[in-house]
Amino acid sequence: MSRRDRPGGRDRPGVLATMAIYTVLLIGAAITLGPFVLSVMTSFKSPGQFAREPALSLPAPFTLENYAQLFGPRVDFSRAVLVTFLVVLVVTAGQIAFSVLAAYAFARMRFPGREALFWVYLATLMVPAIVTLIPLYLLLTESGLRNTFWALVLPFAFGSPYAIFLLCEYFRGIPQELIDAARLDGAGTLVTLVDVVVPLSRPILATLTLITVVTHWNNFLWPLIVTSGEQWRVVTVATANLQSQYNGNWTLVMAATTLAIAPLLILFLIFQRQIVRSISITGFR
Amino acid sequence: MGAKLRRREAITGYALLAPSLFGVVAFLVLPIFVVLWLAFQDWDLLGPLQFVGLDNFASVLTDAQFGRSLLVTLLFVLLVIPVQTGLGLFAASLLTRGLPGSTVLRTIYVLPWICAPLALGVVWKWIFAPTDGALNALLGFRVEWLSNPDLALPAVAAVTIWSQVGYVTLFFMAGLTSIPDMFLEAARIDGASPWQIFWRIKVPLLRPTTFFVLVTGIISSFQVFDTVYALTPNGGPQGSTDVIAARIYYEAFDSFDLGRASVMALVLLVLLVGVTLLQQLYFRRRITYEQT
Repeated sequence: MSRRDRPGGRDRPGVLATMAIYTVLLIGAAITLGPFVLSVMTSFKSPGQFAREPALSLPAPFTLENYAQLFGPRVDFSRAVLVTFLVVLVVTAGQIAFSVLAAYAFARMRFPGREALFWVYLATLMVPAIVTLIPLYLLLTESGLRNTFWALVLPFAFGSPYAIFLLCEYFRGIPQELIDAARLDGAGTLVTLVDVVVPLSRPILATLTLITVVTHWNNFLWPLIVTSGEQWRVVTVATANLQSQYNGNWTLVMAATTLAIAPLLILFLIFQRQIVRSISITGFR
Repeated sequence: MGAKLRRREAITGYALLAPSLFGVVAFLVLPIFVVLWLAFQDWDLLGPLQFVGLDNFASVLTDAQFGRSLLVTLLFVLLVIPVQTGLGLFAASLLTRGLPGSTVLRTIYVLPWICAPLALGVVWKWIFAPTDGALNALLGFRVEWLSNPDLALPAVAAVTIWSQVGYVTLFFMAGLTSIPDMFLEAARIDGASPWQIFWRIKVPLLRPTTFFVLVTGIISSFQVFDTVYALTPNGGPQGSTDVIAARIYYEAFDSFDLGRASVMALVLLVLLVGVTLLQQLYFRRRITYEQT
């Protein structure tokens, strides 16, 4: 097998060029990873060491006191972590379940007004989040839901037009014979959906779940507006507050950012392949 | 019998659709009408609403501060988009040469993109900190990155580019690997240099990818908020980072002028829909031209 025939080998460069390419790529990787490494390093330093030594020094001694303070009586992120976790859970469950139902209706059922409604769903994709922010705030305040758990989840939990659109495309590709077979066995629509359609759609459902989790763990502007005080604060809002309250107390603040980033990094390391693929399929955000 | 079955199917269809339809109407369609209505009201969040006709439009459209916000946002988009598109294409062209380790490097580049922009913004606020920040420690001299009005916006743009290049790279990698070998072979046989192959064959064939990356990039840059809020709150030094989304936020939830904020939101909506249509038009013409 000649060099030329190897997969991906058609552009394979010579030794010098290869070294140059690796150098450039590794510089890029260092710039990408640098801020993560530095901030995590700082979160393990004592405030005393941070004040005395240059910013790039290694933690000595290695300390967890910033994290202890983050979950101590004065700052306490534990409630924020719990609230964020619950928000992500409820939003993801609702969004996936209701999007599946809607997508199945659009893909496989016939009813008057189907095309028009699908067009309305698609049109809402053009509306930027910041435009609906003020009316949503008004809506939830008027319903007496401002600064409640429901304010954090309701606007997102009833399904997302984009998820519905992607699922619909996927459902249309499922062979009609499989659905007809379930029907002939006497299965109703919901049973067919749960027993036949959902198991066949695992990849796209995994993709959408990952995307929803990432988006809502990271969500900031909406929680910032619709909650006040500590009761329903999410991690991003708590981090922003901590930064402005303890300005200059960087070891503590870097512990907070590490906490805000770490769960997603872990998720990313486990599902790296799926997430990268998900981004290329959906181009989300 | 057939009619009865059809009716049952229709009822089931509507039932399946009901929850999401409620969500779409209540949280996406209705708000558009409410924001239109609010644009004609005077409202401070607490007191009663008052109809003021076109006053909000007149005051926003003649407001120098809002004009500056539009300009700052445009400048931000112009700083971010060319650099991140260029770097993304460059990285993708290096990562699609079948070199070992390309997959790992690609994963590393995507990493910042899945993290909370707010948290990354706070990390970079420390990196940019004048006395105890990492960047000045690395450089060995003091620069006021975020309080100098000339540097603040480029700094915010740099952080945005840093977090988004991986995303762009990913799409260009997909685009590059989907170019059929036969085009490149044919060009090589005709004696084209790698440089010519890149600019004359690959770049034109990447047009759909470029279109997608530009549209999503421009639309998200026009709405940038979290990063700006974390790095340079309250509009930044001399308002130099007062992007539209931040202006809308402060107008609504700091100055409590919801009517004016609604007008600004509408201006942003018109701008974004305009950008989308323009790009559609431009690229559609170019693409069909090339195919004929």
